[in-house]
Amino acid sequence: MSQAEIVEALIDFIGRPGADEAEFEAMALRLFAHQYAHNAPYRRFAQARGRTPLAVRRWRDIPAVPIKAFKDLTLSCCPADEAERVFMTSGTTGSGRGRSYHPTLAVYDRSMLEGFAARVMRGRDTIRMGFLFPDEAALPNSSLAHYLALARERFGTPDSAVFVGPGGLDLDGLLAALAEAETSGEPYALLGATYAFVPVMDALAPQGRRIALPSGSFLFDTGGFKGQSREIEPDAFYDGLSQTFGVPREACLNMYGMTELSTQFYDDGNAACPPVKSGPHWIRSRVVDPLTGRDLPEGETGVLVHHDLAHFNSVSAILTEDAGVIVPGGFQLLGRVEGSASRGCSVAVAEFLAAAQG
Amino acid sequence: MNDQGMSAVEEAGYLPGPFAGLAGRQVVVHRAWGETVAVALPVLDEAQARSLCAHIRARARDTLRGMETARIVAAIDRASACLLDRTHPSRRKAEALLPVVTGYDPETVRLGLTRYLKTFRRPQLLRFLAEDFSDPGVLDGFRPAVKGGFVRARGPDLLLHVWAGNVPALPLWSLVAGLLVKAGSIGKLASAEPLTAGWFAQAVAEADPELGECLAMTWWKGGEGGVETTFLEAADCVMAYGGDATLSALRARVPVSTRFLPHGHRIGFAMIGREALDSRRAAAAAQAAAQDVVRYEQQGCYAPQMLFVERGGPVAPDEFARHLAHALAALAARHPRRHLDPGEGAAIAAWRSGHEMRALDDAGTVLLGDPEDSWSVVHLDAPVPLSPSGLNRTVAVVAVDDLAEVPALVAPHRAYLQSAGLAAAPARLFSLAEDLAAAGVTRIAALGRMTAPEAGWHHDGRFSLLDLVTVTEIEASAEAAADDVAPYAE
Repeated sequence: MSQAEIVEALIDFIGRPGADEAEFEAMALRLFAHQYAHNAPYRRFAQARGRTPLAVRRWRDIPAVPIKAFKDLTLSCCPADEAERVFMTSGTTGSGRGRSYHPTLAVYDRSMLEGFAARVMRGRDTIRMGFLFPDEAALPNSSLAHYLALARERFGTPDSAVFVGPGGLDLDGLLAALAEAETSGEPYALLGATYAFVPVMDALAPQGRRIALPSGSFLFDTGGFKGQSREIEPDAFYDGLSQTFGVPREACLNMYGMTELSTQFYDDGNAACPPVKSGPHWIRSRVVDPLTGRDLPEGETGVLVHHDLAHFNSVSAILTEDAGVIVPGGFQLLGRVEGSASRGCSVAVAEFLAAAQG
Repeated sequence: MNDQGMSAVEEAGYLPGPFAGLAGRQVVVHRAWGETVAVALPVLDEAQARSLCAHIRARARDTLRGMETARIVAAIDRASACLLDRTHPSRRKAEALLPVVTGYDPETVRLGLTRYLKTFRRPQLLRFLAEDFSDPGVLDGFRPAVKGGFVRARGPDLLLHVWAGNVPALPLWSLVAGLLVKAGSIGKLASAEPLTAGWFAQAVAEADPELGECLAMTWWKGGEGGVETTFLEAADCVMAYGGDATLSALRARVPVSTRFLPHGHRIGFAMIGREALDSRRAAAAAQAAAQDVVRYEQQGCYAPQMLFVERGGPVAPDEFARHLAHALAALAARHPRRHLDPGEGAAIAAWRSGHEMRALDDAGTVLLGDPEDSWSVVHLDAPVPLSPSGLNRTVAVVAVDDLAEVPALVAPHRAYLQSAGLAAAPARLFSLAEDLAAAGVTRIAALGRMTAPEAGWHHDGRFSLLDLVTVTEIEASAEAAADDVAPYAE
C-alpha cells in the first residue's frame, strides 16, 4: 500500500464507528506490514522478537516498541526529513526527546477532531475556550500545542484566548475572561497542562477567590505534573479545581495522550479517581507483563500497550511506561511504572539518573 | 520450612524492660514462596519516645560506660552463637520467616545468615576493634598516647540507627559497632527486613541483661515528623542508611551539633583480567561472578552490576558472557529468583529493552537470556561508562582492551562507588588498586566474595568505630603540670 492509500483507508476507518475487532485486526495487520517494510529499525526490532508479518496473525501479537525507543531510533516509514511535522516529547525525563514523524497531519487531525468532538464537546458545536498552554507558534514541536490549536480552531468561539505566553501565566487576563464568563452566563472551557492549573489555584486560594463558572462549563487537563509544579494527589487536585472554578468534578475531564500516539484517550469526568479511560474504535489497549510482553488477565495490573492505527507512519503498537488495569469500558491509569528503587542498598537506575542530572 | 509462627503475628523489634509491651503495633503482611507472615512493628508515641531516649541515655551512662569492652565482646559473641545455632528458636524463626519477609530463597538466607554472623564472633570482634584502634583499651580508660600524654575514646551516649533495605541482618553491622564503643543504641527497623535486629538485641539482652537495657529497636514512618523528630533531636549521633532522597531529608532535620553518618546506595562492579581468562579459569571466574550477582539479587551495595572483561585472553569477553549466562542459568535452579513486583519487572524490562534497541543498530551488543529467564546478560563490545543494571540478576559484560581503562570508566560515579571485584595477577592487582582507590573505590574483593565483606571491613571506606567516638586527650603538659603540684613535688 502506498502512503496515500493508507491515509485514505485510515480516514475511511476513522469515519466508520461500527468497525469491529476483526476490521481493526485486518487494518492493524496491513499497517504492520507497511511499517515492517518501510521502517528499518522497527523491522529489525520485529525480527529480533521473531514477529514478522508472516508470523503474526493477530493484532495482539504485533510487537510493541517501548516508548524509550522513540528517543534512540528514527521510527518513521517516510524519510525523516520529508515529514511535514515532527512532534517531540518535552524531554523532562531522562535524556533526549522522543520524536514522532508525520508526513501529513491529515490522519492526526481527523483522529483528534473526531475524538474531541465525541468525548469533550459531546454534541456542543462551540464553546469559549481559555488555554493554559503555550500556542503552536511558541511550541511548534509540541503535539499538545497542535492539539489545542485544533480544538480552538474547530470548536472555540472567536473570543477564545491563550493565557500562557513568553512571560508565563497571564493571570489577570485569565481572571478577566473568567469574570466575563461568570457574568455572561455562557459556558466556558479552560484547557491546559495539568501542572498549569496549580499556580492558578495557588494564586486564587489566598484571596479566597472562588469562581463560579456557568453551568455547562468544563475543565480539561492533561499530562500530569511532570515536575513543573508541586504534585497533588488526584482527588485533592480535582477537589481543588472544582472549588476554585465552581465546576463539578464530573465536568473536570482529563485527556491521556502521548507524543508517540496520534489518538487520545478520555474519561467522562473525575467524580471518582482513577476514572475509566477509553479511546475511539481505531485505538485499542492491552495490559501486559512488562518483562515478557504477554497479556495479563483482565483485572490484573500491568503496563499499558496502545495500538493506534492512526499512528501509521511510525509504529502503531507502543509499550508505554504507564501502569494500568483493564476494566469494563476501558482501562484505569495507575501512575507511571518507574523501575523501582532497589530494596537493599544498591543504586538503581532512577537514583543514578537523578544524580547524573544534578 | 517448619510451621512455627506461620499463623501468628511475629512481634518485631525489642524494647528494654520498662517499655516492653507498651508500644503500639503496626502490622505488615509479607508474602513470598507461597507463605504469609504478619509482622507487628512496635510504634511509640512521642511521650514514650522521649522517655525511651532518656532511659537509654541514662542506662548507657550509668552501666554501659562502666563495662569493660571484653564483657561487651563476650555478650555479642554469645548472641551471635545463639543465632548461629540452627536449633536455637530465634535461628529457626529466622530461617522460616526471613525468606517470606525478604523474598530471598531459603538457601540464600540460611547461608547468608551463617556467613554474616560468623563475622561477629569473639576473634572477629577483636579484629574489628584492632582495625580501628591501635590500642582498643582507649575504650575502657585513658591510655598512653604515642605523641605523649594520654587518650581515651568514648562513643555517643545515644546513637540512633536508621536502617533500610531488605538484605537480611545488614543492621547488625552498625548495631555491633555501636555496642563496641559503648553507645546506648536506638534502632529504627527497616520495613523490608524488620526482624533480625530485634532477635539479635534480644539475644544480647539474654546474654547480658544490663547491656540489653541500653538497647531498643523500634519503628516509625519516616519523613513525617512527630516521633522521628523526637529521636533525631535526642540522639548524639545518627547513623543512617538509604537512598539520596531519604538521607538528604534526614540530614536536613538532624541538629547541626549531632554527628550524621550517612551510608547511601552504592553500585558495585567487577574486573576480570586476561590472565584469569584461560580455558581452565574462565568458567570458574564466571561462576564466582554469578554468585556475586545472584546472592541477594544485587540488592546489596557491594553486588556487581557491570563486569569489565579484558580482551586478549584465550577466552574472549563475549565467550565469558556466555559462561556467565550459563552459570546464572545453573544457579537459577538452586536459588530461584525472588518474585518481582511490577516496578522491579519494569526496571528489568527497561534495561533489557534499552539494550535490545541498541542491538538493532549495533552488532556489538548482544542480549543473552529470554525475558522469561530469571537472569539476563548483555555483552557490550565497546567500553562504556559504569551504569546500573536492571538489578535482580541482570548484568552487563563490557569488553575492554585493557583493565587500566576501567578506573576512568567508573570515576564519574565516585559518589556511588564502593566495592570492586577483581581477578588479576598480583602486580596488576596492586597497580589497578591504586587507580581504583583514586577513582573512589573503597573495597576490592575477590570474585565470589563481593557480597561477603570480611570482618572489620571499612564500610564505604570509613572507620566504623572511630567515626563514632570522640577522644579526650590529656596532653603531656597537663601531666607534667600535675606533677608540679603533686604531694611529692619538691
